Amino acid sequence: MDPVLTTCPFCPCGCGFYLHVQDGRTEGVIPSEGDPVSRGRLCARGWGSHEAPAWGERLTEPLMRHEGRMRPVSWETALEAAADSLVATRRAGRTIGVLGSARATNEENYLAVRLARGALQTPHVVSCLTATYQPLLDGLHDVTGRHAGSGTVADLEHCEVIILVEGDVAVTHPQVAGAIVRARKAGCRLVTIGAVASQMTSLAALSIASTPGRERAVTFALVAAALAGGRLDTATIVAAGASFDALRRSLAEAEVSEAVARAAGWYAQAQRAAIVVAPLVADAAELRRLAGDLATLAAATGHLDRDGSPLLILPARGNLRGACEVGASPNFLPGFAPLSDDGAGSRLEGVWGVPPVRETGLDAAQMLTVARGVVIVAEDPTAVMPAGALAREALRRMECVVLLDAFATPALELATVVLPIASFAENDGTVTGLDGRVRQVRAAVRPPGKARPGWAVLAAMLGRLGPATEYHGAEEVRREIARAMPPDIGARWREVDEARVVPRAERNGGRRPSLGPLAPCEPIKPAPSVAVWDGVLDWGSDPLVRYSPTLCRDSAAQRKLFPGGFVELSKEAMDRLGVRQGWPVRLKSAGGEAVAPAVMRADLAAGVVVVPFAFRDALAPVMGGHGVTSVAVERA
Amino acid sequence: MQVSSARTIGKERTGEWIGRLIENAEVVAPTAAQAGDVIFRKISSPVEVQWGSDNPLFPPKQVVLPQTDPLVTISRGADGLVVEPVYDERPRVLFGVHSCDVKGIDFLTRMHAYDLADTAYLRRAAALTSVSVACITPCPLGFCICCDAGPFLAESFDVQLTDLGDRFLAEVGSEKGGRLVEPSADLFRTAEAGEVARRHELEEAAKRAFGPETCHFASAMRRVSVGRVSAELWDEIAGTCLECGACNFVCPTCYCFSVKDQGRDGHWVRCRTWDSCQFRAFTREASGHNPREAHRERVKRRFFHKVSAQYFRRDGAVGCVGCGRCVKVCLGTTDMPAVVAAIRKGAWHG
Amino acid sequence: MDNLFLPRVARIAAVRDETPDTKTFDLVLRDGGERRDFTFVPGQFMELSVFGIGEAPFCFASSPTRAECIQTTVRRTGLLTDAMHKLAAGDEVGLRGPCGNGFDVAAATGKDLLFIGGGIGLPPLRGLIWNVLDERDRFDKVTILYGARTPTDLVYKGELDEWARRGDVELHVTVDRGEAGWTGNVGMVPTLFDRTELRPATTLAYVCGPPVMIKFVVQDLLMRGFSPDSVISTLERMMQCGVGKCNHCCIGHRYVCRDGPVFTYRQIREMTE
Ligand SMILES: Cc1cc2nc3c(=O)[nH]c(=O)nc-3n(C[C@H](O)[C@H](O)[C@H](O)COP(=O)(O)OP(=O)(O)OC[C@H]3O[C@@H](n4cnc5c(N)ncnc54)[C@H](O)[C@@H]3O)c2cc1C
Ligand code: SF4
Ligand code: SF4
Ligand code: FES
Repeated sequence: MDPVLTTCPFCPCGCGFYLHVQDGRTEGVIPSEGDPVSRGRLCARGWGSHEAPAWGERLTEPLMRHEGRMRPVSWETALEAAADSLVATRRAGRTIGVLGSARATNEENYLAVRLARGALQTPHVVSCLTATYQPLLDGLHDVTGRHAGSGTVADLEHCEVIILVEGDVAVTHPQVAGAIVRARKAGCRLVTIGAVASQMTSLAALSIASTPGRERAVTFALVAAALAGGRLDTATIVAAGASFDALRRSLAEAEVSEAVARAAGWYAQAQRAAIVVAPLVADAAELRRLAGDLATLAAATGHLDRDGSPLLILPARGNLRGACEVGASPNFLPGFAPLSDDGAGSRLEGVWGVPPVRETGLDAAQMLTVARGVVIVAEDPTAVMPAGALAREALRRMECVVLLDAFATPALELATVVLPIASFAENDGTVTGLDGRVRQVRAAVRPPGKARPGWAVLAAMLGRLGPATEYHGAEEVRREIARAMPPDIGARWREVDEARVVPRAERNGGRRPSLGPLAPCEPIKPAPSVAVWDGVLDWGSDPLVRYSPTLCRDSAAQRKLFPGGFVELSKEAMDRLGVRQGWPVRLKSAGGEAVAPAVMRADLAAGVVVVPFAFRDALAPVMGGHGVTSVAVERA
Repeated sequence: MQVSSARTIGKERTGEWIGRLIENAEVVAPTAAQAGDVIFRKISSPVEVQWGSDNPLFPPKQVVLPQTDPLVTISRGADGLVVEPVYDERPRVLFGVHSCDVKGIDFLTRMHAYDLADTAYLRRAAALTSVSVACITPCPLGFCICCDAGPFLAESFDVQLTDLGDRFLAEVGSEKGGRLVEPSADLFRTAEAGEVARRHELEEAAKRAFGPETCHFASAMRRVSVGRVSAELWDEIAGTCLECGACNFVCPTCYCFSVKDQGRDGHWVRCRTWDSCQFRAFTREASGHNPREAHRERVKRRFFHKVSAQYFRRDGAVGCVGCGRCVKVCLGTTDMPAVVAAIRKGAWHG
Repeated sequence: MDNLFLPRVARIAAVRDETPDTKTFDLVLRDGGERRDFTFVPGQFMELSVFGIGEAPFCFASSPTRAECIQTTVRRTGLLTDAMHKLAAGDEVGLRGPCGNGFDVAAATGKDLLFIGGGIGLPPLRGLIWNVLDERDRFDKVTILYGARTPTDLVYKGELDEWARRGDVELHVTVDRGEAGWTGNVGMVPTLFDRTELRPATTLAYVCGPPVMIKFVVQDLLMRGFSPDSVISTLERMMQCGVGKCNHCCIGHRYVCRDGPVFTYRQIREMTE
């Protein structure tokens, strides 16, 4: 069979490549030089993406829980049971919700939104990772008036300066890391901000240490330094008028270190300069302010929306940006239309045939706690939610859990109805890359057994719950997305042109950035140590990694060697405690305590303890569902 | 090459020839694909062949060594498990490959025949005949001339075509190659001395067209073979490698693999799957011990295998055919020419 | 064998617990013809497969001089070994091999033989030991030194007793930590050297065990006058094919699965990568 051009399902870089098919199975990956994102370069995950669909444990027939056991049933029975149980739960006055996913296409996420806010008349539709990304978009919106950064990954290669708020992009967003490596080779000065050393920090011209969860202390100082250093964009400042003075005043308390001053100076002076924000572990308010700082920095120095000066917020997983954009976000209708927007309401009513519910939804963690019925589209909340164990408990308490997935995941144990759907290799649709490009996913093989494309299953559910809804293919769903969105954003869905990046019109929306005072930056309270998740989330639990014999090896070995988890400490900390590799240490926080073996991590700041996300549940008593906590560490 | 063995075929007749090849074999050739790429794949008509394209980014290696290569099927029979070897002996013609890729497959075949013969591979390779097109202009990133793998081939080819404008000169380099040409003798005519002379002129011109900035294996080999490259330099190089494995996957001479069982419930296919020595898990043992835990050890390994004198003696060639693909696919900047230069100069460009 | 990757099917004739995480399997090739033709040398290994799970290398723990069955002792440490431990008599596994070079038994003729095993390092030596004992006249003095972490971790306990009773072998066993009821030696393996008389010039020393143990034992042997050529050990590397093709087991340009796993200490020292 001919190779099929498609988009990588893993990270939001959104690399294109061909899937090679042999005897009805995905057999290999062929890189595409013509692809505008990857240009022939893929990371290990992309190269291994053909494996999980062919090797993994696939869901091949609808299942229903009957007296505690899962039994195969017909599609008719399963869909009916799913619809009936959701409606019954709602009728009984209980909360129901829908979880979209970064692993699902735009079409699937959009239909999930339509299912919730339309057919099921519930405002609760969100993805498990929305809370890691939406606040950053909101922060940009505060300054730029839109929920998006600008520019592309390829732009990075030509930048003279790159400011990277680092998690570990070499692992999470390899294509971004690649562009940074290339830029650096061409003479770019890389500035990293982060608490944990990474491959990128080792390449940095300047690396600014931050306190985990408090990266904002640095970004706030950067704005202050840039303003103090001059070289500002006159037009923006003139337009801002008095608010600019308010901004200046709000920065009076900022503590600007020499490194921060240098970084700000480099950034302000460069013709082409970039800001990149990797997924961070911090609370929502802090994330929002951090993005606001960075947008202010870009605007004040004239880099905002300048061609060649990208501002990139990296979503943690594949289609997280798309999920948020099509409405899997508590505060928005599709296309980031505010819930209060009457125009958007009537537009959706026109498309859906029912008025959308326009109340604020719950975030994923709240929804799981409150809801008694949930539809989960291609996600395992126990693997991606900050508090995995709590998510497990919450799902166990529910009356109905309708799970759509292509792969068997631990969530299967908790489902009441399972609807088998196509994996990316068997699915048609689109995903949105980190730069806003809408990219095509194309089916290379047929779904196994009785599995159907997710969009078709969601459409069938819609049909059962409301007016008949029929789509002749994912493309028709996509065109509906275009109509459901505000016109400027919807344009990107109308005609998919993968070479085209977000058009300028959408970028500046015809308005100037609104500079204004920044929220004060609370001083950092000294803590003996701070425990923080690794910020990479857990690739190992993603079925596309877990079921790929080549990709699963590192995470499988980690789980095998440390079944009860481990924590990473600096050499200094280990020496101070007198512990060696593998020896147990006790972490104590306000919430509780836990013991785990210590593993040394080079270049870690002395006061930082890294808790691998995969093992967060083992450390739950200490972390309590938070990404960052002050802890005391002692030898156990 | 003897004058008498060379023939020519008018370009207007190549379609006819390819058509006949398609009748008797699976013909794999460079073809156009969706995103403007050129990809080797099975063709069903001569018009699909993309003549004169740059060398496709993805080598034709998967024709002899598929990414997922079934080796053994296992099933439950009446008297217990039944294990059967899988052989793929479909006659194939690899049409329109460049010289470096012919050398690549030649290299792979030698590796699989060396010491213990890998019959699964060798039978597939034996059923493959190549029709290569000599390169009259070097490709932008190629350095085959440093690896004795092009631009023209003097050996290892089955049929080698040289573009003489309105016709191709066809040289037959093996019996297998003869079997592609003989039955279509009516489409060819014996080459004239002038045509053969022209081919040599083109070869000389092609060789001259390589710039001075090629890849100096010899000096790198001297250092790599005796471990005289500092750990610091390997560290620096490793710092810009993102462990994607692409360098191995697109390399015409790389063949590292793992063996795994696909399927379930009594129907399994044991497959060989491409693996990469750049992956951390490549040498990790069950205990967690990993002799190449440090990234620099893995990078070092790749270049030891490719350019050390120890392997050169064993394999009779460096593990590189100069196709330049790793330059394009490297997610970092750690491609063969860059690293060879770094070893030679003792400094990384980073 | 025509196809490098085609396993033979073997039936498990018996499974014995050795330690809490180690079992010995008696394997019999299903096909009678294959059974007759199958030969190997101690020190060689086989690729065993549990179908659907995969393959892994294991040493022959039995001697070719005893052809009734092929034995191997497997420690549970991962995917495949887990699956192996769930199998019982009558189950079928795949067996490829023999792979690797094995010990050079002929070269040992007339020499003193010193076997030094640590923990799960005894199985590869056991094959050689039985081979030697079955042809006892060909060799001079035979000494076996064996150590494990605790008495529970000692493998082949019954055979240790049998060897101890034989007059033609000198056996010393030690454990790092004793347990209730243990009356034997306590201490690391090198402490056993002082309990026996060593004749370095005419002795071949075979050392198998965990890397740390090998390191200390070899150091000690060299200090006591052994030449690097007469200290023989086996190397362990991650393996996939066992036949010199996959490149997982390389050290420099040496392939542990083909050039090894048996190497002299001199060879090991000279390997560079
Ligand atoms: C020459 C040789 C002889 C051996 N003899 C024995 C023996 O007699 N008894 C015994 O208990 N163990 C022996 N081992 C070690 C044994 O091979 C590993 O314990 C086994 O591979 C673990 O497989 P797993 O699937 O359970 O572990 P996992 O960690 O799940 O490993 C997955 C795969 O990686 C490969 N692999 C992992 N670790 C090793 C390793 N150390 N060596 C080679 N391949 C590995 C195997 O293909 C394995 O199936 C030997 C190893 C070698 C190289
Ligand atoms: S960088 Fe991201 S999108 Fe590209 S191949 Fe890797 S995981 Fe896929
Ligand atoms: S292609 Fe480049 S980045 Fe990828 S593994 Fe090879 S050297 Fe490293
Ligand atoms: S195990 Fe494959 S080459 Fe040695």
